[in-house]
This record gives sequence, structure tokens and C-alpha cells, in this order.
Amino acid sequence: MSPSRSRFRHRVRRVRERVISLVTGSGSDRRERGNSSNGRRDQGDSEDLAAAGTDESARDSVRTNGTARVAADGGTATSTGFRVRDRLDRLRFNETLQAALFWVPPALLMGWFVYGAISWNFVISLTDWSGLGQPDYASLNLEMYWRMLDDRSFIAAARNTVALLVVFTGGALVVGLLLAILVDQDIRFENTFRTIYLLPMSLSFVVTAIFWAWMYNPETGMINVVLRGLGLEVFAMNWMSDPRTKLATIIVALTWQFSGYCMIVYLAGLRAIPDEHYEAAKVDGASTVRMYWRVIIPQLRAATTSAAVVLMVFALKAFDFIFVMYGTTPGPSADILAIMMFREAFARTNWAYGSAIAMVLFLMALAIIAPYIYVQYRRGEL
Amino acid sequence: MATLELQNLTKRFADGSDEIVAVDDVSLEVGDGEFLVLVGPSGCGKSTTLRMIAGLESVTSGTILLDEEPIGDRPPQRRDIAMVFQNYALYPHMTVRGNMRFGLEESTNVADDEIEQTVTETARMLEIDALLDRHPRDLSGGQQQRVALGRAIVRDPQAFLMDEPLSNLDARLRAEMRTELKRLQGDLDVTTIYVTHDQTEAMTMGDRIAILNDGRLQQVATPLECYHRPANLFVAGFIGEPSMNFFDVTRTDGQLVATGFEYPLSPSTLEAVGDRTDLVLGIRPEDIEVVEPSRAANYDGESHAFDANVDVVEPMGDENNVYFTLEDGSFTATVHGFHSVDAGTRVTVRFPESAIHLFDAETGEAVHNRSLEDVADETRTQPLD
Repeated sequence: MSPSRSRFRHRVRRVRERVISLVTGSGSDRRERGNSSNGRRDQGDSEDLAAAGTDESARDSVRTNGTARVAADGGTATSTGFRVRDRLDRLRFNETLQAALFWVPPALLMGWFVYGAISWNFVISLTDWSGLGQPDYASLNLEMYWRMLDDRSFIAAARNTVALLVVFTGGALVVGLLLAILVDQDIRFENTFRTIYLLPMSLSFVVTAIFWAWMYNPETGMINVVLRGLGLEVFAMNWMSDPRTKLATIIVALTWQFSGYCMIVYLAGLRAIPDEHYEAAKVDGASTVRMYWRVIIPQLRAATTSAAVVLMVFALKAFDFIFVMYGTTPGPSADILAIMMFREAFARTNWAYGSAIAMVLFLMALAIIAPYIYVQYRRGEL
Repeated sequence: MATLELQNLTKRFADGSDEIVAVDDVSLEVGDGEFLVLVGPSGCGKSTTLRMIAGLESVTSGTILLDEEPIGDRPPQRRDIAMVFQNYALYPHMTVRGNMRFGLEESTNVADDEIEQTVTETARMLEIDALLDRHPRDLSGGQQQRVALGRAIVRDPQAFLMDEPLSNLDARLRAEMRTELKRLQGDLDVTTIYVTHDQTEAMTMGDRIAILNDGRLQQVATPLECYHRPANLFVAGFIGEPSMNFFDVTRTDGQLVATGFEYPLSPSTLEAVGDRTDLVLGIRPEDIEVVEPSRAANYDGESHAFDANVDVVEPMGDENNVYFTLEDGSFTATVHGFHSVDAGTRVTVRFPESAIHLFDAETGEAVHNRSLEDVADETRTQPLD
């Protein structure tokens, strides 16, 4: 076959494909594959046609072929439609296959180490594995979950977990919002303040825990020293060992660490609200407090949600912090599920019970994050 | 309802070590129920002036009197003024009803059902009563505009301030709203200051126009007065579309000499000119007579006529904009739509002496404005002095 003849055939095939895609409306598929390549192809086509223009007979043949094809397609739309769809399906399959190199390894790793581990953990929680030896997968039941209901230390830990979750999240959000509003007032050295407030976030939890343990120290701690200095010695307490204040010490320290993060999230939210809303509210007669309460804060709902989800999920696993402050036995007034899980599994080798507690924690985290992800997904933000 | 008075209002912004004077010693008075349009190019200080009246910007010096009481030191909440913003500033999380109720709830102790009634009545007046339970994001630009107006109207304030409220609408809707807003303001009879950069809005809506440039007040007068008796070069050039033609001229004896033509002056005009020699001659495009070639011979001896080249003709339907070139410079004339002029030809044009304006070239002040005898009939309803 001569080169010019093969080029001609090639051209005819291209034109035919083009017509088919126009008739069946499958052009969008092509567009999906990338505008740049599409643009290049169009250009190529027109160049080809221009080249054909120098060869009169070739161009005529192309045109005849093209028209004939349109007529034929119009007559047998269904069969052509199927054939085209087949071809497109194959194409899509090929693309998935081509991309496999990129998505299969992470999918396998995630599947094995995250979802596989979760599933395995669930299976272990159904056994009664404890001590040394191997789990017995032959008899699976919900015994460990029933055991929780009678376990007073579990109930205390669950209660503390929820209390920590609610108070810490609420506290960090409120403090963060107030800081954000303050920093947003066009103050001098805004960047400096922002950095100062955000800095605790960059510390490791171990550092925060040790640092706050010093603060709470009943003899030399900053808090009691200041209280004594102010003549408020009656309020100076043994913060970290008094069961009444134990959980509060944890919440205060965590709030200190995380309110800077909330501030940044809220600051971004505040900056997105047009100045005109503040001004309109003022001209409408609202005091500053009312303006924030009725006009500004309601517009921060998205910021609140995203910050709250992060805080709550963190609160559930506030493990390292409490572990550094109190070890594995913080006592019933400061115990949380994450610590209890660790204690049961790794200190007392109640593997199955530890796994069951881990499942409860997992479900709580899921209950927090699933609605958020679902809403985000429905809004098309994921 | 009240009068609003600005006395020597000044605003300076510090810009590093520099100081920017945004509003420079502006004094003006707005009568009870008057619609005053504050107009000027961007950055002239008109919005700053409005924001000072609203209390959103501090006053560097000067006094603001609302109903003869100084309000310059009061926070915006206590000024009893309503403002309509350029981008409407509707609260996105509230319904239309919530938006309209907000001002009454915050600024008054009016009972709940009374608020509801006011809101419903206002909404009906603005034809947005069907939208009361929708959120701003579900409304079109024009509807949002109406809600923004409604929010201001329900409060029944002493004065309305409007900051380019129509600039986000498309051209047709803007023209519609212009008329409606004007009618509404007349019905409500509320003292209004309206800021715009659009001289068409200024001309068509204002009882009076205040023209600002570089923070300084140029002229406060009725639209027609600004048009026919501009106080200076800036006002003459700013008001009117296409804008007034200007020619740099020097007076030698009894005539003005420009590059391209000479223009003799009558004794009375000369008297107004005094001993100034450097002047600017101004004439509005519609006052230039473009002479049909068949009649050109009649203008041979005419001292105020000369020939010019037609550069471009823009047909507008009802009229044609004709762009002429001179030896040094160009000018524009508008002629009747049926009066055909061909681009590239040379035609005779005449500047009637009764229609010319003369400005001092150095200060820009008007030294002679057009005579109004020939336009007196058209303007009888709007006294000019």
C-alpha cells in the first residue's frame, strides 16, 4: 500500500469516528478524557482536511464516505449505538486498567492495614482471647460486649469520654471563636498574635502534658502559686489528684492546645464574610454583641462543623496526653475509653475485651464523621 | 424625615507617613424629603462621605447635622439612618422576612405582630410578598435589590443612604429600577442621599446633584443647572453623554484663536471674559450645527462656521454621533438620526455663540455659560436660578 493511500484511509476512519460520535452524542466521553487532547485532535483534523484540500479527488471521496456514513447511522441507530457503547466500555476498562498501577498499591495497603486490621480486630472481639496463647476462632459470640454493660470501670470511662468530648469540643470552639473575633478586629501585630495562639497546636501532646503537669503541681505549680499570691489559698487544690478536678485538668489543657486551631478555622470563616454584613447590621441598629450573635456567628456554621469534627475525633483518642499525665491507671474520674482499651489489652492481656472496647471507640468515631462526610459528599465538596 | 446638613466635612486617611485627603471640606444641605445624588468619578470621596454620614467611617473634622442635631459622634446604631449597599449585604442565613425584620427588631421595641404587618405591607409595595420565605441565594439580582430596599424602608428612618445600589443590575433592569426608585422615594418622602458614578442616574433621579472630584465639592445644583450652567470645566465634562467638547483658545482682540479656527465674540461675551487671555471654549455635541452640503453656501460669510473632516459616524437610531477631526484635535457632534453624514467627507459646522461656554484655562472656573433664552421653553418647569 502506498503511503498516500494509507494516509487517506486513516483520514476516512477519523472522519467516520467523528460522525459517529456526533450522531450518538458520545462526544462528552472524549471531552472527559481531557480538553487539551481534544483540542489537539480537532486541530489535527482541520489540518488533515486542509491537506486534503490540495488533493481534490481525495477530499471528494472523504466527503462522500462521510455522508454515506451519516445516512447509514441514521438508519441503524440502535445497533450502532450498542457497538459504540461496547467500544467505549472497553475503552473505559482499558483506562481503569492503565490507571491500576497508581491505585492498586495504595488500595491494597489501605485495605490490608486499615480495613483488614479493623475487621480482624472485630473478629478478635468476638472471641474470648486473653493471656498468652492463640485466639480460638471456633466459638464467636458477643460476650465481651455484654461484659461491658456490667463493668463499672467501662461505664465510668465511657461517661468520661463523652464528657471530655462535649466539654472539650465546646470549650475549644468558644475560646477559638473569641480569639478569632479579637484577632479579626484589625489589631496591631495581628500576625504575631495569630502565631502565638496557634503555637500550642504545634507542640507534641507529650510536651503539653508535662508542661501542664508542672502548672498543676500543688506545691510549685504556677496555678497554685498565683492563687496563693492573690490570697486565694482556699482555692489552691491538688488539681491532678483530686477526683473532682482530674477530668477538668485534662479538658483545660487540651482546650489550651486546640483553641488556636479553632481560631484559625474561624478566622478563615470570618474573613469570608463581607464587611458589608457587619456594616449593614450596625446601621440596622444591632449592638456589637447582637451583630455577632445574629448575623456573623450563624454564618460560621461550616467552620464550626469542620472544626468540631476534628476536635471530637481527637477527643476520642486523646490517649497520649492522659497516658503521659496519669499512666494507664488514671482512676475512675479521669479514665477514658482509649486508655481503658490500652490497659485491658496490653497491661492485662485481655485481648478480646480490649478489642471490643476498640470497636466501641471506632463506632463512636464513625458516628461523628460519617454524617459529616455524607453531607459533604451530597454537596459535592468531596 | 429630616434635613441633613454637612458642615466642612473632612476625612483624612493615614497612608504610612503620607496623608490622603479623601473628603475635603464638603458643606452641603439636603432638604427634608429631598433626593440628593452624590456623583463623581471613582475615588472622588463620594462613598467615604456617605459612610461618614452612616457612621461607618470616623469624621476627621466637620459636623454632620441630622434634623439639626449633630450625629457625628454617635455610633451607626444610634443615627436612625438606613443604608442600601452596593452588594445588597443581605444576610444569607435569614429568609427575606428575617432580613426585613432584623432592623426593626434590633432598633425598636415594636411588638412582634406590628413588625410582621410592616414587613408584609412593605413587601407588598415592592412586589416581593411572594418571596418572603425564600433565602437571598434563591433570588435574582433584581429581587435581592428589592429586598435590600425593603429592609431600609421598613425601618422608616430619618434618612436613606444608598451606595450605588443599581450598579450590579443589568442595563434594562437598572433603567426600570431607576424609575421605580425615584417614584418610591417620592411616595415615601424620605430624605435620601444617593451615591453613584453614573451621570445618567444622577441626571434622571436627583432633585439636586452634588458633584465631587478629588474630595472637593464642585457644584450642587439641579440636574439641568449642572448641565447648562456648569460651575467649572470638571462639571461641564462630567455631566452629559457624549461629553462637552473643549478647545484650548487664546483671546486676541475681539476673537478667540484656536488651532483650526477663529471665533469672534460678541461684546457682551467679551465683557464676561474680562482681561483673561487663556480660555477653554466648550460646546455640547447637540449644539453644534452640522450643515448639509446643499446649504453650505449660505454659511460662507458666517463667522462662527468652518469646515471639518468627518472621521467616524455612529448611528444610534434616534441620533447620530459624528466624530470630527480638526488640524489638531477632534470633537463630537450629535445630529438627528435622519440627517446622514458620510465618514471621510468635509462638511461645514457651526458653533452658535448662544451655546458656547467659556472657562478660565488656569482655574477651570466658568466665566461665561450658554445663554438660556432658546432653551427657556423646555426648562420652564425647572427654574434655573
